[in-house]
Order: sequence, then C-alpha cells, then structure tokens
Amino acid sequence: MTELLTQVVWWLLAATAVIGALAVVFTKDVMRMAIGLAAFLVAVAGLFLFYALPFLAVVQVFVYVGGVLVLFLFAIMLVHRAEEGRPGLESRHDIGSIALAVGIVVLVVMALRPLREATVVDPTSSGTAALAEMLLGPMLPHFEAAGVLLLLALVAVIVVVGGDDE
Amino acid sequence: MNVAILASVLFAVGLYGVLTRRDLIAVLASVEVMLGGASVMLVGLATTIESAAAPEAGVVEAVGLFIIILAAAEAAVALGIVMAVARRRRTTRVDDLTEVSG
Repeated sequence: MTELLTQVVWWLLAATAVIGALAVVFTKDVMRMAIGLAAFLVAVAGLFLFYALPFLAVVQVFVYVGGVLVLFLFAIMLVHRAEEGRPGLESRHDIGSIALAVGIVVLVVMALRPLREATVVDPTSSGTAALAEMLLGPMLPHFEAAGVLLLLALVAVIVVVGGDDE
Repeated sequence: MNVAILASVLFAVGLYGVLTRRDLIAVLASVEVMLGGASVMLVGLATTIESAAAPEAGVVEAVGLFIIILAAAEAAVALGIVMAVARRRRTTRVDDLTEVSG
C-alpha cells in the first residue's frame, strides 16, 4: 500500500513537472508560460522532498518560486506592456531541434542504463546538520565563492539596468 | 532509472524551448527548465542509485544548493540584460537582435 502510494506520488510529481515544462516551451500566452514555470518549479521542489531532501525543497520554493518567478513576472510586465497588440509568444519549430532534444534523451538513457536502482531512499541523507558540516567544512571555499558570486551578480544587475539613465 | 528518464526529458524539453522560442524571456524560462532537469537528475541519481562510492552525508544537498544559487544569480543578471535590451532596442525578439555590435 505504501509502495503504491509512493509510486502514485512520484508519477504525479513527474507529470506536473513535464506538463509545466511543456507549457513553458509551447504556450503562446505569456502568463500561461509563467504559470507553467511555477508548476514546474513547485513539482521539482516536490521531487526534492520525495528524495528526502527537505531543506533543498524549502530553498527551491523560497528562491525559485518566491524570487526568480517574481523576477520573471516583473520582467514580463515591464517588457510586454508596450506590445499589447502582439499575438503573443512565438516559436519556430524545426526538425533539427526535435532531433537534438530526442537525441539528448536517448544518449543519456543509454549511458545510464547499466546503473542499478536501490530500492530504498536513504533517509540518512536528510537533516540540516550534515549540510552545515559540509558547507562550513570541506566546501567552505565553494560557499565563500557563491557569496562573492551573488554580490557580483547584484552589482552587475545594478550596472546593467540602471547605468545609462543618469 | 525512471528519474533519469524524467530528468533527461525535462532537460530536452527545455533545450527545445531554448532553440525554438523567439522571445528572450521565453528563452530564459526554458533555460530555467533545463537547470531544473539537471538538478532533478543530480538529486534523483544521488539518492536512489546503488553505487560503491555513495556520496558523503550533506554533499547532495550542498551541490543542489549551489545549483540553485547559480541559477538565481544567472536569472537576475539575464533578466537585467533583457530589461536593458528591451529599453534600448524596443524589442525582445531574438530575430531582431542579430547584430553583434551597434
């Protein structure tokens, strides 16, 4: 029963992620694209939760749904405001892009086929104590570099967006 | 194995969007889908695949955290560039933005 429920939850999350991704790529309406992106990001957070990484799921919701998605909505409102009469988002579908996308899936699946799946998700990987030990221990240089990167990104955005008006 | 298929399908859908979308914001949203697919692949494989060299506790979460940090910085800078381009050139269609300089 629990096994079945686990399967159902996984497939629901997977279906939501794929439908959201398809909406991002194929819809013509810009707001539908944003909602598709939201569904996709929440489903990815749900998958993190499914694989016993609750902290990562919380960060995904905070940063992506609360931050990046709002940034996208602001950009859409500011940029698309002046182009009210336009038919919406356009795509140029072609056979080469389809071949490339399908080829990537086939290559990855073939490359990963020898791997064997463990039946149980390892519950010891969860918990923020281990993450803190890792981030402030062996990964401290990466952690510092990420902080510097965020500062640089902040300065870069201010320069790019607000530089030429004054 | 299912999670590898799911992640590569998500990545491929995002890649298709990057290649075919004609609007800069939609291209960026597709890049976010690609990044999401990559992090699903990382998390899914690291926690379910039987392997001799199992990752140390906290490594998967730390690397996933770095992916999210990088994606947030990337989205902020890229959307800033889109805003600057839209203000200067009055368009975000990639077909109208083919000049390298000028």
